[in-house]
Amino acid sequence: MFLTGEFSQAEATGRAIEALKAKGFGPQALDMFSTEPVELPPGVLDRPSRMSLMAVAGAVVVCLLAVVFVYYTQRSYRLNTGGMPLFSLWATGVIFYEMAVLGAIGATFVMFLWESGMLRKDHAAPRWKGAEGELALEPGRILLRVRCEPEHFAAVGECLYAAGASRVEKVQNKS
Amino acid sequence: MATAVQIRQDKVREDLWRPLLQTRGRYVVALVLAGLAGAWGLAAWGYQIYEGLGVTGKRRPVMWAFYITSFVFWIGISHAGTLISAILRLTHSRWRKPVTRAAEAITVFALMIGGMFPIIHLGRPWVFYWLLPYPNNRLLWPNFRSPLLWDVTAIFTYLTGSVIYLYLPLIPDVAHLAEHTTGWRHALYRALSLHWTSSDREWHALERAMKLMAGIILAVAVSVHTVVAWDFAMSVAPMWHSTIFGPYFVTGAIFSGIAALLVVLAIVRKTMHLEAYLQPVHFDNLAKLLVLMSLLWFYFTTAEYLTTWYGNEPWEMAVLGARVRGGYAPLFWTMVVCNFVIPFVLLGIQRLRTIRTATISAAAVLVGMWLERFLIVVPTLAHPRLPAAWGTYAPTWVEISICGATFAAMALLYLVFSKLFPIIAVWEYEEHVSNGRI
Repeated sequence: MFLTGEFSQAEATGRAIEALKAKGFGPQALDMFSTEPVELPPGVLDRPSRMSLMAVAGAVVVCLLAVVFVYYTQRSYRLNTGGMPLFSLWATGVIFYEMAVLGAIGATFVMFLWESGMLRKDHAAPRWKGAEGELALEPGRILLRVRCEPEHFAAVGECLYAAGASRVEKVQNKS
Repeated sequence: MATAVQIRQDKVREDLWRPLLQTRGRYVVALVLAGLAGAWGLAAWGYQIYEGLGVTGKRRPVMWAFYITSFVFWIGISHAGTLISAILRLTHSRWRKPVTRAAEAITVFALMIGGMFPIIHLGRPWVFYWLLPYPNNRLLWPNFRSPLLWDVTAIFTYLTGSVIYLYLPLIPDVAHLAEHTTGWRHALYRALSLHWTSSDREWHALERAMKLMAGIILAVAVSVHTVVAWDFAMSVAPMWHSTIFGPYFVTGAIFSGIAALLVVLAIVRKTMHLEAYLQPVHFDNLAKLLVLMSLLWFYFTTAEYLTTWYGNEPWEMAVLGARVRGGYAPLFWTMVVCNFVIPFVLLGIQRLRTIRTATISAAAVLVGMWLERFLIVVPTLAHPRLPAAWGTYAPTWVEISICGATFAAMALLYLVFSKLFPIIAVWEYEEHVSNGRI
């Protein structure tokens, strides 16, 4: 179950998040929805990321695979190289560089899909056009969704209103 | 140039979605004309495939001509978008927001078109897959030492990166469009939006991915045109075997890329009535960049020609002479006027710098850069080291048709893209407006 509060300012949303964190709701239980990116002060709702690390890992892995592949093919069908080595890093370095970059690009895209949670369909996310009276995404609005048990609804709702929410609503996960 | 126009935030979406949902007669006419020109090019290519490469003007010793010139030109144009967008994103240039998507789309389309030319250049294009690394029935693998295969790898990587770099910031826009459209548009946007919900996790991931991609794409963009330059520089041909060819080509690519971007932005601004979004300041900044690149291009060209002339090597001098005072001299001096004189005079003098002069200069630079690529490719091949083997080259209607049609193909792809997606990133622009930067 979720409780969603509607805010019109980032500062108020930040206050609500701080208050909820003090009550034991970690970042995993909180989701903020807005039509454009909202900047909160550092530490308020940080999302740790391994995207850069995975991009480097992707580059290294794909580059190594390319080295192994080229090494194998140079021996699989031996060209006449006029006494020069069959496998040369100088002559194939560009290929490895490009493959490393391709690995980094692929890993970045996969990590984007993973960290954004887009691979996991969120049935309880607010829609752009909600049903009559339902909270919906609109320019200038920020919706803060808290994952909580029904027994905590009262306390969470109080927190949201105290921070400046104009409206609070219960949302059932439809999945 | 004129002052900026104020835009209300609630009007942004209305203005930027309008071209998607309304079709004017002029749009249809442009689409049909571009389609016809493209079809003519396809027919010419079909004729070339049926009759063989003999229908082109390629004769020994000039076996790389219009197609390879156009290949280098279009790969250069591709530096318009992703590279410029990445530089502006990494330097937090505020004025970039209305410009980036238009630029990134140029990159993807120019790469698609540029990548076609080596296949068109093949006498038997149906065997292009021999370039792919798989063990074919002759058990022969591609030669990974060849700069031509470096090209294939570099362009594939750049195209993959550019498509992702264009796609990522499109996701919030298509998710929003999916909720406001019906029918096939709704299905298309819904599929492309990947269930985007506008959560902070998604915004964070998008921001991180864009920053990372901007850095990565810079590395690959520079390498792509360097590798294209090495197609020439790795051979021991007169006026090709040069150590500065890599940076020279990259400079030329960014130069022609900015020019293409200016021309496209001027057309988009006029035809889509986006005067309030693509403001004089955008053209002014891009025009200054164009002048800077013009000066850099002039510096590299002078360095290249002066050292060749001073060295006085007979083989090099034969090519240099052909370019500067021989049969190719009219093309050479037109190139100098287009690439240096026109932009330097029209855009270097602040009083003369307007949207119109920026567009004229950019169009001149596009002509000049195509000529530059032609002058790099053809005179060297026409003057090999054995004077008895010297030859000439003149294009046929087939080559002119195919190369001309690629410009129509670019227009066609752009017209279709601008009908399907907002040409300015709506969410980025709304953020821009709500932060009071307009």
